[in-house]
Amino acid sequence: MLRILFLLAPVLLAPAVWAADPFTFAEAQGLLRTHCAKCHGGKVALGGFNFAQFPDEASLLTRSKVWARAGNLIREGEMPPPGNPALSLEDRDRFSTWIATTLHKGACADGITPPAFPLRRLNRNEYTATVRDLLNIPVNAGRNLPIDGAGGEGFDNAAETLFLSPIHAEKYLEAAKIALDYAMRDPKSRAAFLTPQPDARATLTALLPRAFRRPVTPAEIDRYVALFQAAEKRGDTYDEAISYAIQGVMLSPHFLFRLENSTPDYALASRLSYFLWGGMPDAELFKLAGEGKLADPAVLSAQAVRLLKDQRSREFAENFVGQWLSIRELGRDIKPDAKVAGDYYETEVESGIRYEPALFFHEILMQNEPLTYLLDAPYSVVSSKLARYYGMTPTGIRQQPVRFNLPPGSHRGGLLGMAAVLAVSSYPTRTSPVLRGKWILESLLGTPPPPPPPNVPELKEHEGATPQTLRARLEQHRANPVCASCHSRIDPLGFGLENYDSVGRWRETDAGQPIDASGVLPDGTRYRGVDELKKVLLSKKKQIVRNLTGKMLGYALGRGLTMEDECAVDQIVTAVERDDYKAHTLITEIVRSVPFRTATVRQESKP
Amino acid sequence: MKPLSRRTLLRGSGAALALPWLEAMAATGPGAKRAKAPVRMAALYMPNGIHPGMWTPAGVGREFTLAPTLTPLEPFKKSLIVATNLWNQGSKGGDGHYVKLSGFLTCTTVTKTLGVDINCNGISMDQVAAQRVGQLTPFPSIELGVSPVTTGVDRNVGYTRVYGSHIAWSGHTNPLAREINPQSVYERLLRATKPAAGNGPRNDAQLLDLVLDDARQLRAQLGRADQVRMDEYLSVVRSLEERLERATTPAQRKWKPRVAIDPAAKPEAQPKDFADHVRLMMDMIALAFQTDSTRIATFIFGNEVTNQNFSFVDGVKGGHHSISHHMDDAEQMRQYQLINQWHVAQYAYLLGKLAAMPEGESNVLANSMILFGAGFRDGNKHDPHNLPILLAGGGGGRLQTGQHLIYGPDSPLSNLYVSMLDAFGTPVERFADSTGPARGVLV
Repeated sequence: MLRILFLLAPVLLAPAVWAADPFTFAEAQGLLRTHCAKCHGGKVALGGFNFAQFPDEASLLTRSKVWARAGNLIREGEMPPPGNPALSLEDRDRFSTWIATTLHKGACADGITPPAFPLRRLNRNEYTATVRDLLNIPVNAGRNLPIDGAGGEGFDNAAETLFLSPIHAEKYLEAAKIALDYAMRDPKSRAAFLTPQPDARATLTALLPRAFRRPVTPAEIDRYVALFQAAEKRGDTYDEAISYAIQGVMLSPHFLFRLENSTPDYALASRLSYFLWGGMPDAELFKLAGEGKLADPAVLSAQAVRLLKDQRSREFAENFVGQWLSIRELGRDIKPDAKVAGDYYETEVESGIRYEPALFFHEILMQNEPLTYLLDAPYSVVSSKLARYYGMTPTGIRQQPVRFNLPPGSHRGGLLGMAAVLAVSSYPTRTSPVLRGKWILESLLGTPPPPPPPNVPELKEHEGATPQTLRARLEQHRANPVCASCHSRIDPLGFGLENYDSVGRWRETDAGQPIDASGVLPDGTRYRGVDELKKVLLSKKKQIVRNLTGKMLGYALGRGLTMEDECAVDQIVTAVERDDYKAHTLITEIVRSVPFRTATVRQESKP
Repeated sequence: MKPLSRRTLLRGSGAALALPWLEAMAATGPGAKRAKAPVRMAALYMPNGIHPGMWTPAGVGREFTLAPTLTPLEPFKKSLIVATNLWNQGSKGGDGHYVKLSGFLTCTTVTKTLGVDINCNGISMDQVAAQRVGQLTPFPSIELGVSPVTTGVDRNVGYTRVYGSHIAWSGHTNPLAREINPQSVYERLLRATKPAAGNGPRNDAQLLDLVLDDARQLRAQLGRADQVRMDEYLSVVRSLEERLERATTPAQRKWKPRVAIDPAAKPEAQPKDFADHVRLMMDMIALAFQTDSTRIATFIFGNEVTNQNFSFVDGVKGGHHSISHHMDDAEQMRQYQLINQWHVAQYAYLLGKLAAMPEGESNVLANSMILFGAGFRDGNKHDPHNLPILLAGGGGGRLQTGQHLIYGPDSPLSNLYVSMLDAFGTPVERFADSTGPARGVLV
């Protein structure tokens, strides 16, 4: 019973990313008695929650979901409700950290039994990649599908938010027609999915297992052959009739959904390919699945590395990085103002800026370099125009972005020097130390600041303010203790990036005033400039890699992490740390983790 | 003379135009009476609230003066209802943005979640109507916007951003995906009246039969949670099948639109800028209503918390969300008001467009109800009291327009929806927290 509760408990907290020392049980009891007893103690139990029913730490585990919620409500300042004395941010942190640690320890104590993979449809990108590989066409078949929202760890492949609207059915029908129209006319494509001589049964016998990503029964083939025959009977040509049958295949839920109910080895092959390629498995994966070899951890690791080294893994890098770091919003909701953006909107510059983080991340993966390069690296991946935009001399590079060793004093190297990151955390017309600090806390450290309390308006930070008054105003704002509690964490991180303007160009002055890029962190650490800020963040590399690991595991699983998944994250991070933060280790540890292999390890994981 | 079918005409002309021949489409002969044009309904949602001091008209009832933000509506004052003091109790609390937008048309409190428990705990009023009369038109409803769902989940406040992008909910757990590409909307409308080459609707329906069979068989093998997903799939495929069936059978509609879609008037897929994009989407709503492709539309100008750069508006420099946190600073508030006014001007553009579309002896606007609103009032406070709510169009003669209606403090917004559903011909006893129809709205 206990186990079931763990499985269901959502993890909104970031366990093990301890911002503060957790309370002891006695301290927590003290806080609850002082601030919560009126509504949740003794005889009263508003919302069905009475803390007096939990005599010790172990008893929290019997209602972990309720306690996880209590921790979130207190962390986010929703409890105690308005009209009661507010808690200090430190108490909120220490309390919610206490809950997170307690539940986390409890969840990990008796092994990991992850939930089954939820049924989910292919998202827009996966659909496009799958159609491309199935029919061997260079066409973006999913172009007209609605853009998917995100759930879970923040990715659009999360089962929970991949809902269906009537428009999807319409667009799938349309997309299948467009894709097949193209494919039937292209000899290269025809060769990939049609038999040399017209033979509907042979064609469908070969196509169906690929389309459904698993072996199929003769009865299944018959159904689609019948479609072909129906079309032929009404006078369609062979091409028209086979195309019609394949449209049926492409509308089937077996094609449109990822199903993991019947064939664990094939399911694992799909999990691997959709994780690292964003598309369907290739012949080698199918073969290994058919031979029952894929579940072998050594084979799984080797395949993961093979997939990474294939160019298709760029799809993964783009989808993952674009969402993890919010880069995808560039050109969507976030568009730098053309009047201040200089060369930003030059064709090759803008695309170079948008792709740089993903290409850089991909290069780290391909070369098995340390993940700490994300914080500081000797190279980036730029085109000649982007190099020039960054003020460097682009020797030896051209239009195509390539790995480029950074000259000394380039002020680049690592994510924080990338224009995409700097622009996505700015306002359209100017920089914002608050947005940038928030971006670092959320995207890198995995500790998003709590929302501002109700009725305390957001920072008085006006568009168009001069930097001098902006910094002064931020300092004044932090003099207010209510604001200071959070902003003393946020702003000082953002100040370190002030040498970059709102589109990521280096600057020494702003509006005639010299830039002050120094900051004092809440623990008293002082730093000056982005290079020292990077050192500060490198000292927190384990926390940053833990955050990255959680995100990537959530992406790989296509769902939000449970408390037990967080235990797997701990194990992965330990292994990655032991291997000097090598990128391949992160990937291989994820695919070998219990939650990723779930169905195949379900038996062996339990004593 | 045998009345012409619309398709016959389309095949013949290839263009879409209000022409005298359309009179021939009206059924003639003994007893056939020209049917009355149907009522159409749209809801336009503006993110990030309003400047509270520049919105509410001076005066009450029929004697009122438009406040600065509403001045673009001067030409439509006689077709307009300004409703003051309505609130959306369900969207109180939660966070400052996501619960406001997702609960705007449902008048419920959405469940706080990063995704796994997504639930708006109600059905939006447009879908209540669509589920009753949607079968009369090619599309039960259309859902439009200009920007894709915002990337990621918002871990600061603990909500998935899906909530900040969807106001139409066909079921508690079914937000309706929006179309953001005007060309794609246009092609969709066109296809519905003029089936594309290829299989044709009858053969498409045969494909879907097989697919439904697959899904039903599959469903039987699934666990309960997964069955819910498969049910969603069954339901969307069935809805497409029904639509295709309707396309192969003569329309059951008594009333027929006087115009068809002009295949030559295709809008661009990637509008040159935000303002252009919004205009094109307004055009698509007007076109859909004029051609009776649907009678129900929802549109959001942007996802909640959008920081869309509004520097293209004279006198504004910066992003929408950051300016909406005006801190009572005069300069910020001035810009905020200009942004609000720009939105109202787009609303006025749509009203003008509909008014210019003749329909019988009146026009499409007179047969429409176009709602405009935001999910909270002051962008600095994020509370859903005294929401900015406008309703325009004659509602087929059912609405008492040309009024500033001032309700008692905190009167339910849902009451207005009760009145609108009545005027639309899909009356309900209650809607969410409604206490009755909104006073003074209906004739």
